[in-house]
Amino acid sequence: MENRINSSWITSLFEKSQDVVVRQIKINQNNITVYLFCVDGLINQALFDEAVFRSLKFDPYLSHCVTERAMMDYLLEGGAYHVFTSEEADYQKLLKSVLSGMVALIFDSEEKAIVYDIRMFEKRSIQEPSEENVMKGSKESFIEVMRMNTALIRRRIRSEHLVVESLTAGRVSKTDMSLVYISNIADMNTVNKIREKINSIEIDNVSTPAFIEEFLIENKHSIFPQIMYTQRPDRVSANLSDGRVALVVDGIPFVYILPCQLPMLMQSPDDYANHFFIGSSLRIIRYLSMIVTLFLPAFYIAATTYQSQMLPVQLALSTQAAKQNVPFSSASEVLGLLISFEILIEAGLRLPKAVGTAMSILGGLVVGQSAVAANLVSPAVVVIVSLAGISGFIMPNQDLSSGIRLTRFLLAVLAALAGFFGLAIGLILIITHLCSLNNYNTAYIWPFVDVEERNIKDTLFRFPIRYFKKRPDEVAAQNKIKQGTKKDGQEG
Amino acid sequence: MKKLIIFLFSLILCGCSHDMNRREIDEINFIHVMGIDYSEGEYVLSAIYSSSQGADPEKGLAGDEESSEGRGATPFEAFQNLKLKNKKTVSIANTGYFLIGDRAASKGIDVCIDFLSRDETVKMESLLFIVKDMRAVDFINESFEKGQNVHEDLEAVEQKQQELVTRNDNTLVNILNALENDITCGLIPYLVADENSFLLQGYAVFDKLILVDYLDMDTSSGVNFIKNIIRAYPIYLEDNIGLSISYSKSRIKSKLTNNELKVMIDLSFETMVKEVNTDNNIFTEEELNRLTKMQNTYIENIIKKATNYSIHTGRDILQIARLMENQHNKKWSEIEDDWSSMISTIEYEFDIKSQITKSFILGSR
Repeated sequence: MENRINSSWITSLFEKSQDVVVRQIKINQNNITVYLFCVDGLINQALFDEAVFRSLKFDPYLSHCVTERAMMDYLLEGGAYHVFTSEEADYQKLLKSVLSGMVALIFDSEEKAIVYDIRMFEKRSIQEPSEENVMKGSKESFIEVMRMNTALIRRRIRSEHLVVESLTAGRVSKTDMSLVYISNIADMNTVNKIREKINSIEIDNVSTPAFIEEFLIENKHSIFPQIMYTQRPDRVSANLSDGRVALVVDGIPFVYILPCQLPMLMQSPDDYANHFFIGSSLRIIRYLSMIVTLFLPAFYIAATTYQSQMLPVQLALSTQAAKQNVPFSSASEVLGLLISFEILIEAGLRLPKAVGTAMSILGGLVVGQSAVAANLVSPAVVVIVSLAGISGFIMPNQDLSSGIRLTRFLLAVLAALAGFFGLAIGLILIITHLCSLNNYNTAYIWPFVDVEERNIKDTLFRFPIRYFKKRPDEVAAQNKIKQGTKKDGQEG
Repeated sequence: MKKLIIFLFSLILCGCSHDMNRREIDEINFIHVMGIDYSEGEYVLSAIYSSSQGADPEKGLAGDEESSEGRGATPFEAFQNLKLKNKKTVSIANTGYFLIGDRAASKGIDVCIDFLSRDETVKMESLLFIVKDMRAVDFINESFEKGQNVHEDLEAVEQKQQELVTRNDNTLVNILNALENDITCGLIPYLVADENSFLLQGYAVFDKLILVDYLDMDTSSGVNFIKNIIRAYPIYLEDNIGLSISYSKSRIKSKLTNNELKVMIDLSFETMVKEVNTDNNIFTEEELNRLTKMQNTYIENIIKKATNYSIHTGRDILQIARLMENQHNKKWSEIEDDWSSMISTIEYEFDIKSQITKSFILGSR
């Protein structure tokens, strides 16, 4: 009886689960009995009554069905008052469907079931993105429901080539995923590779982002993010149009985009919402901020501990004056404050919003000022660490921001050990590492490694849209023309 | 294997840290200003730095200054002596100004410049000044007695210099470059002590790296006009009319025929009227033409002071030798040896053009 669709077996399987309902229903005078199998709380009650229960009890044509098979055929051919109705003969698939919120009518003698997709569970409404807010542009963001998310994407790309493939991962969680791509643009090798990776996930639960990300990225030891996530459907649709692949995971309120390159992580939706001069300026500020957050603390340590002659006269003298009565070395000061800064961030995340703000003021201003007044740290170090900290948060991608924050510790330690020599070694290590990263057959720092005019138009600067004639070489394998004229009649 | 490499790498870095001049910034006495003198048969270095308590962050560099001295047979020896006397490490890495006393300059500036230029930390854009008729140490001590902040006063001198000329030729790197050529005369600005400040009065003239003379202010300005580095310059004409040069450009050409050298100096400049203390209307065409001629003559006289000095003393303060080398490269090799005798025979021709601009926007006369 095992692994066959049978009401007795299913009843015994879920006898201890109060939320799983297996209910016997007699259909007509022919004494055909079907079994309703669903999970309470995951279904749309109103739709259930209307589309399933009412039709079963009051549809006069059902009384003409003398066998279960005939009844099934009738229901599948339009008798069921619901469009998403299908026959299921596979026991595992049936379980998955019902446990994800569908309703099944089990026909014991046929060992089959009819599945109604009338899922409905409590969900958030579509809100403004919390991380990627823009002044101009769409205010929609993804939510935890996969189908809503795919609908948001579909609403923006009304092409018949947009493919939404369903996948499942997680031995216990059986998490639904959708692999989204535009079939006549995306590189199918990349699509296949991502599909293979998802299918190869053999862990119990993939409901948290890190579980999925770690399986999808190719260089697992790198702290730089190799997979981009976004809360914005417009951003996903833009990347899909470029030939990239999106992965929508049920229960996660953002969508992954693959393959990912470093310049993508430095782009913000605002770049495209403003004039290209403003967009380019913002992007340059972001790159400068990355340099500041990465190197400023290390530079300060190196300059004040080893190569003070590098500082301009005035700066050297004022730095020296500021540090006169501080008992700690510059390296200890900077590293200590950097750690304190991370503690403040972590505490701010854990605390309720109202308390978090007060704590930030207390930690940042009061403690900082007191530490300076008590000569525990010099004012210059407070400025340096604050500047580096604030610059770190300008990164549009929080994963990149975290990676850079961690890297600046490494650079600060190297600078403390060997001054600018250590800093230079750190820089070489970072560049070498970034150059070695390969992400689904694309270089991570592309197009900086393969500088071609047409590819750099959306990197350090954001050129006017009319210059984006072609899709990125590295990701769009098939249809490279991105912009044509009306006469061309070309579609993506 | 990877762990081993990381461990070795860390070990190397730790090892490096013991041999990389690790010194916290507050353990160093940065010399702001250094004086170099020659006295009683030995070099005397006097250093000014922030007091041991450090400059007051609120006052910036206006905090207290301290000075100390070091003596030795050579500037290097004197510097070592200075280091020994100091509680902290002494560094000239951030020294902005070097003052060379009259006697040290008269003994030969090459010794001082050589010492400074061999320090790998010294800033090549540091400024060098000669202290006229005084030892640098006395100059500094006098300033201390008057309650002056030497560094700030020298900064003020530098700013004034930048207001008048387009570039500072007295940076260490420029002086090193100028002194390489022993045919021309080197020029370094000199300072004199005023009541409560320092005054930049003109150039000290170096012949074969030895201080030989001081140029007055007009002659020095004439040199600046010919060197094409004038940014602003005041002109005082009769009838209490004051003008200021807002733009100046000079070109020097030379013509060598039968060992007779003629140098043509073309100067064009623009001025703005800054002061009119006369009842006459000067903004008529005739008056403006007259003023233009007068200002041409005024500037020509200043330039002539520089050329006349060169002719009378036989010192190539205008660096005509370099011009010859560039413009008559082949002939230069023939006359190079007799150059010092030729300087006095150079014939100068002047072509001065000017115009008065933007002068009467608000005024009615």
